[in-house]
Amino acid sequence: MTTRALLLSAWDPGTVVPVACILALGAYGFCYRGRLESRAAFFGLGVAIFFAALASPIGVLARGYSFSAHMLQHLLLMLAVPPLTLLGLPRERGARASPPRDRGAFGYLGPWAAGVGAMWLWHAPLLCNAAATSPTVQALQTASLLVMGYAFWRPILVPRVVDRLPAFAAILYLFAACVACTILGIVVTFSPVEVCSAYVHPVDSLGVLALLRDGWGLSCRADQEIGGLMMWVPACLVYGAAILATIGRYYGEEETLPHAAGGAP
Amino acid sequence: MTVANPEVAVVPERGARDDELGAFAWVATVDHKRIGILYLLTSLVFFGIGGAEALLIRLQLARPNAHFLSPETYNEMFTMHGTTMIFLVVMPALVGLGNYFVPLMIGARDMAFPRLNALSYWLFPFGGLLLHFSLLAGGAPSAGWFSYAPLSETPYSSTAGTDYWILALLVLGIGSVSGAINLIATVITLRAPGLTIRRLPLFVWMTFVTAVLIVLALPVLNASLAMLLVDRRLDAHFFQPNGGGSAILWQHFFWTFGHPEVYIMALPAFGIISEVIPVFSRKPIFGYEFVAASTVAIAILSFGVWAHHMFAVGLGHRADLAFAMGSMAIAVPTGVKIFNWIATMWGGAIRFTTAMMFAVAFLLEFVIGGLSGITFAAAPIDWQVTDTYYLVAHFHYVLFGGTAFAIFAGIYYWFPKMTGRLLDERWGKVHFWLTVVGFNLTFFVQHFLGILGMPRRVYTYPDLPGWGALNMVSTVGAFVMGVSVVVFAINMAASLRRGRVAGDNPWNGWTLEWATTSPPHPHNFERALIVRSRRPLRDPLPAGGAPARTAAPESHVPDKAVVAVWAFIVSEAAFFVVLILSYVFFNRSTKAAAAALDVSKTGAFTVCLLASSLTLYIAERSLERGKTRVFRACLTATLVLGLVFLGGQAGEYLKLFERGFAVDTSLFTSTFFTLTGFHGFHVLLGLIALGFLARLAFAGDFQDKSSRALRAVGLYWHFVDAVWVVVFTLVYGRIVL
Repeated sequence: MTTRALLLSAWDPGTVVPVACILALGAYGFCYRGRLESRAAFFGLGVAIFFAALASPIGVLARGYSFSAHMLQHLLLMLAVPPLTLLGLPRERGARASPPRDRGAFGYLGPWAAGVGAMWLWHAPLLCNAAATSPTVQALQTASLLVMGYAFWRPILVPRVVDRLPAFAAILYLFAACVACTILGIVVTFSPVEVCSAYVHPVDSLGVLALLRDGWGLSCRADQEIGGLMMWVPACLVYGAAILATIGRYYGEEETLPHAAGGAP
Repeated sequence: MTVANPEVAVVPERGARDDELGAFAWVATVDHKRIGILYLLTSLVFFGIGGAEALLIRLQLARPNAHFLSPETYNEMFTMHGTTMIFLVVMPALVGLGNYFVPLMIGARDMAFPRLNALSYWLFPFGGLLLHFSLLAGGAPSAGWFSYAPLSETPYSSTAGTDYWILALLVLGIGSVSGAINLIATVITLRAPGLTIRRLPLFVWMTFVTAVLIVLALPVLNASLAMLLVDRRLDAHFFQPNGGGSAILWQHFFWTFGHPEVYIMALPAFGIISEVIPVFSRKPIFGYEFVAASTVAIAILSFGVWAHHMFAVGLGHRADLAFAMGSMAIAVPTGVKIFNWIATMWGGAIRFTTAMMFAVAFLLEFVIGGLSGITFAAAPIDWQVTDTYYLVAHFHYVLFGGTAFAIFAGIYYWFPKMTGRLLDERWGKVHFWLTVVGFNLTFFVQHFLGILGMPRRVYTYPDLPGWGALNMVSTVGAFVMGVSVVVFAINMAASLRRGRVAGDNPWNGWTLEWATTSPPHPHNFERALIVRSRRPLRDPLPAGGAPARTAAPESHVPDKAVVAVWAFIVSEAAFFVVLILSYVFFNRSTKAAAAALDVSKTGAFTVCLLASSLTLYIAERSLERGKTRVFRACLTATLVLGLVFLGGQAGEYLKLFERGFAVDTSLFTSTFFTLTGFHGFHVLLGLIALGFLARLAFAGDFQDKSSRALRAVGLYWHFVDAVWVVVFTLVYGRIVL
């Protein structure tokens, strides 16, 4: 098989994924009918990436063929789909509803642990192998990645702006996630043993293994290294970009603190 | 419209206590201004020593095949020169400026913790002395400033020099971390009313970001140094390949610290430049937001690019590629800053004072250093020129042409504030031109030497065409720089006595340090300060003169003790991450652990430790509710449970020793004892703190319903327990799984 043939043929949308995409888009259109903004494009992009991560050759290769394809899928589901769809929701000013909830420092530990835990948990050798070989476990993995991804990104990007983490707490939150992700990336990259042994000897049902190993020169060692480096560098760039966006928003906000000349509030 | 340029002419007075103490007042001081000056003076002394070492190196290299220094002495000289300049000159000088000016620029009376500040300072000369004591104890360290293993291990560095190097760096590291925690707490909790983060002077902002970097990076070095010391004194094999250890691991750990360290030395320098250039261009800085935000970007990226120091090691093409990308990315936020500074000068009414001239020269020299840095980010070029004089030229352009020039700019800018007298401008110009000419003569030619293939750290070189002449140029340049430092010292000494009186605000600056006398009153400010913009001294006075302090209700300010403990916890977490990673790295299989450890017994003691967290939590709650007896009982229970855990650990150790497991038995025992030993040490420290609290509690203290001390110690104790959960899972839990 050639690369071209792989890219053209290895599409496996199944039924759940397209239905989920259509439902999501339909629900979005219905809920925000009449007030569609340009930010709807973010939502559309998020849904498109969701579709690509699961139904395109990325998703097909992630099913037991290539660790780095699995990692790409993992990162897309956690670091692209949730933040993009959240960004796509119109902002609520929050003036009418309840006052902002103060959850305290420990209240954000849960979402943070969900985001970071999803990375670590699904790369424990046992779970990683199970997800690579069993479709049921893989479906479970996909669902949990999305749920944990939303839990993680919600404090940063929730549509009601007053409920978002304050800028400097958000920076700490994202930076700590970046560090945790970096450490795992380092471990995966330099680990001499296979994190996921299922990818070493794939069951070659599609006949693409020869293309991967010889055509692309992707040995299992290289495969795992690329996977680790993806988790390490591009993943951290996502967190870094979110940090910069947070700082940018902070400096862009109006100064709302009471000014000196005004006397007591 | 009147300009708020307060005309409070107060002659700085020292208190009666200072008069009594005389010169000893400088030793006993906790005033951030005196401590700042002590930092600067001490680093000036070490600058003299490090400079003299550099001149000896250059004398040796002036001619080919020279024998002025023996190879051993030459190795000692470049090691001491590098270590001195980085840890005893640049870092303390920047910390000194930060110490003096951060509280002034944010309108505070002092640092958040003045006594801790004094401790941080005194650890610095002590560390410096410890490093130089090695000269009396059998020879200075000679393994280079990054002490690569296995060269730094006992078989290859058998004198005590490297041990003193390790101890000195540990002491300096602890001082830097405590100083950084203090700076973080100061900037977060002590800002004048109205001085929001958005309005923070850029020097303060960049010093703050640097402090965060120090808190994250220095513990990585400290943990690695501890392991190297265990290797050297207790015969472990962390970094010795012949005992199963990994020399590459040292490089990874060292550069995980070492690359952020580059920015620890560069960011405050950027901050100085961001103050000096606007003031002498009579314009606000161009793109304040970008300069501030890109600083954070640099800080984050600096942790992801260390392996570009290791391209020549052979990490593999894929890793090289990823790190080359990251390293080039970090040049973007740095490079755009240069444009910010240039745009600030564009169309400004520039005054070329000596401070401004150093700042402009900084831009030029730093760009050269930055460009050669980008060439290093391309791995193939790195393979060609790494460890040649091209590298030496590169980092001297960054650290001298960059940081040292900025420090000079800062000293010319702030000297009048610190002393009340201006530095002489004519001598200043002489100093400037001698420095620029000497610096470029010394280091520019080294680019060529490096490309010609001259390796660094080799005591002499053969008489190849051109090498002798270029080296002679370099040596002459070094001596010109030596003369420039003498001129600088004379200028300072003379100006201190006879310099022109500066007045409060000689440069028409607009940040808060210029709102007080020169030198400032011991309590810094005579009146309440209120900030309404990024240039507070240009704010119009509100009608009715100076407003009362109550006029500006500040938003919620966190408690300084809690901020400091969180910063401390972050630094400790970085320390333990390194120890835990080395444990995991060396113990991929659990066989050795399973043979030695008793999981169920330690599991029982683990329950005790976790229970102690619970009792402490109950203690805090009962104090809030005013149940004094429950509070005391729970505090005591916490102490007892902690002691039981520690006793259990001691018992486990004794049993292991009896069965013949010592630190040097295997990699498992080395990593096990180091990791659990350091954890036990932290438990002990927590117990001491809890013991103090318990004593106070039984003496009838804690009348208030909430106690900062209890909250702070409580956070630390929970952290120590959380670390144990991770350690227990990785060391013992894996055996069962």
